[in-house]
Amino acid sequence: MIPERKPGRSAGAPVFFNRKLTMPTAVDLQVQLNLDSELISAFYLLLQKGVRLPVATGCSVIKLLNDQLGIAEAYVLNRITTLFLDGKPVDDLTSSVIDNGSVLALSAALPGLVGSTMRRGGHLAAMREAISYHPPQAVTTGSGTVTIKLFNIPMKEIGPLLVERGVVLTGSELMTLVADGGARFQKGCDSVTLNGRSSPCAEFTEQLPTIMAPQQTALVKVRWNEAVSQRTGVPPAEGAS
Amino acid sequence: MDKILRINMGASGGPSQNIEEAGEFSALGGRATTSMIVAKEVPPDCHPLGAENKLVIAPGMLSGTTGAMSGRISVGCKSPLTGGIKESNAGGQPAQVMARLGYAAIIIEGKPASDDLYKIHIDKDKVTISVDNSLKLMDNYPLVEKLRKEYGDKAAYMSIGSAGERKMAAASIACTDPELRPSRHCGRGGVGAVMGAKQVKAIIFDDSGCTHRQPKNQEKFKAANRAYVEGIRKHAVSGEGLPAYGTNILTNVLNEAGGYPTRNFKTGFFEGGTKISGETQAELEIQRGGLATHGCHRGCVIQCSGIYNDKDGKFLTKQPEYETVWSHGGHCGIDDLDTIAMLDYLDDNIGVDTIEMGVAIGVAMDGGVIEFGDSEGAIRLVRDEVGKGTPLGRILGNGAEMTGKAFGVDRVPVVKGQALPAYDPRTVQGIGVTYATSTMGADHTAGYAVATNILKVGGDVDPLKPEGQVELSRNLQIATTAIDSTGMCLFIAFPILDQPETFDALLDMLGAFYGIKMTGDDVVALGKKVLTLEREFNQKAGFGAEDDRLPRFFKTEPLAPHNITFTVKDEELDELYNWS
Ligand code: SF4
Repeated sequence: MIPERKPGRSAGAPVFFNRKLTMPTAVDLQVQLNLDSELISAFYLLLQKGVRLPVATGCSVIKLLNDQLGIAEAYVLNRITTLFLDGKPVDDLTSSVIDNGSVLALSAALPGLVGSTMRRGGHLAAMREAISYHPPQAVTTGSGTVTIKLFNIPMKEIGPLLVERGVVLTGSELMTLVADGGARFQKGCDSVTLNGRSSPCAEFTEQLPTIMAPQQTALVKVRWNEAVSQRTGVPPAEGAS
Repeated sequence: MDKILRINMGASGGPSQNIEEAGEFSALGGRATTSMIVAKEVPPDCHPLGAENKLVIAPGMLSGTTGAMSGRISVGCKSPLTGGIKESNAGGQPAQVMARLGYAAIIIEGKPASDDLYKIHIDKDKVTISVDNSLKLMDNYPLVEKLRKEYGDKAAYMSIGSAGERKMAAASIACTDPELRPSRHCGRGGVGAVMGAKQVKAIIFDDSGCTHRQPKNQEKFKAANRAYVEGIRKHAVSGEGLPAYGTNILTNVLNEAGGYPTRNFKTGFFEGGTKISGETQAELEIQRGGLATHGCHRGCVIQCSGIYNDKDGKFLTKQPEYETVWSHGGHCGIDDLDTIAMLDYLDDNIGVDTIEMGVAIGVAMDGGVIEFGDSEGAIRLVRDEVGKGTPLGRILGNGAEMTGKAFGVDRVPVVKGQALPAYDPRTVQGIGVTYATSTMGADHTAGYAVATNILKVGGDVDPLKPEGQVELSRNLQIATTAIDSTGMCLFIAFPILDQPETFDALLDMLGAFYGIKMTGDDVVALGKKVLTLEREFNQKAGFGAEDDRLPRFFKTEPLAPHNITFTVKDEELDELYNWS
């Protein structure tokens, strides 16, 4: 179980992370990175490629985003105007079904004729009918893993909060994150907590190849040193104290 | 814009010039002006590089005013790449300056008898056409540097690089941006080769002493412009997505949709997509002290462009656009942004269309000239072969079709000889209809997402019917032609598509400027008129229904990951131009 956020941390939380997420996890390690908020950009490549989250499956896309990830419906409807489920453009958020292993990509509205055709329920959706998402006949509920890809505006706005909540990374993804971040990562990383034990960042990154095999998985959570809402510029939740 | 400058490069005794009244063209602009003049004055069966072809340059209807987004310049001629009519447009400063000088069009005709190279300087008092053989075979960046020493930094420059002088069919015409970099190109269709055939190396516009063009109704114009800018700024695409990531925001999404043509259209997904996405590009630009947000001309409020610095923080090129990142990236199996940026710079410098050049290299890779993914090899082909005009360079510089023939490749993604842009038509079938039927050859901007639902061009479309693809494409092509005729940047399409009040603001601006009442119907009528003229020109040039087709492999080779082919029938494509 992922521990709930400490009450004080939710003060500046944006409107779209208004619910608690509980994840049944089957990971090898639990890692918490305490990072300077500037380092969010180190996650951008990962977020575009997709990060995995353990979720309850068999629900609709809107239920996943809203009920499980706590993204407010208004945000989803207004800002996430282009979605792909398993590579297929989604038009109806309520009839599209999340399965174990589903890949859900989230994007804002896009330019160009093709950008426009991809838009959820858009006027030009007929132009890409051949690849549009159609819901399955039967739905089974259970638990599993979904990969979330975040592009453009949602990457900046949801990304910091998603990694704060926790995402499942493989050892090789974590090593790439640390290696690509280079000196910037070392400078902006205050400390790391590994399975409840805190250590300096340098020690963690040095020992990472011996701690984790490339294919092993870790639930990685980030604690930012600045309220993420301040960083993303997204207004705090209505009624948030 | 009450005059037209006509220059006859082939006049006996050297080039002659004549100023004519603009007449019907004084209240037109962009593609409407260029296509109408080409259709009227150029014999459709002439050789594109011969004396009978004409190069027509026109600013937009509102260029040179204080109106936002009004700085696109159009160039028209018979295309050496397609053999049909061509309009190619670009941003940069020339449209604004040319319009303030009062020219509705410049028509360059004839061909010099000697091999002298000319430059044309235009200011408010006179037009000077002079021989300058010291400019021979100079490429755009050093060329503009040299010209700036003579003509200063207040001017705007249009020029061709060595590719234009060598009359390569992929040659472009460069336009300088506000920082005087020749980084904005009328790229498609080989318009640079036509300028090269006229032996005109550069046109220098200097509007010193000129003021903004004045609207008939100042107050109304100001108010409409304000509403128009507000509409652009508040829209998620033009106000957020494009300024933050540029057009390369599309890489991730096209890849996710399985519609990103990879390794010469073999699959629809590129595994290196995230490494060259707009999101990754913008972050790199910011880290290196460049800019992820920049306007290609003054008066642009969207600012989809940027500045790409090299590893040492020095300017390398303007932010490569989506089509460029694709053509030199995924299409060639290259996932390195620095390589793509270098190729963008080389294309701009030599003066070739980034789409045609990238697609030609991908076809050459398919033909075994170099391996897919060979970054160094791709740079070498452009810099050392195309840039130096070697026999191999001349093959590549003449485009994808020529390259395919030279190397025996049977998968050549062209329509009417012009390379397909960055969207696989098997995934988005409607854009395949536009590629196949556009008067311009395969062109992603030909049927843009322009306000069809507001304009109701050709009536409402039932999106569930198969023929809806053709009907949508037809409507888009008509509306796009109309917007191209205003000379507005096409990215205004989004606020206009979604916000009727922004569309009305644009009509009000045009109305207030010219003292007329403009309606959506007028816009549609203009679009239809221009498209009809273009279509007739192409028919007289020898094009028939069989040319309105995609290459056959799109119908026979299923595209992974969706495993689909292009299914719109030929008879349906033939219906596109059936309008009343
Ligand atoms: S939006 Fe982009 S292409 Fe259009 S005028 Fe501005 S910078 Fe140029």
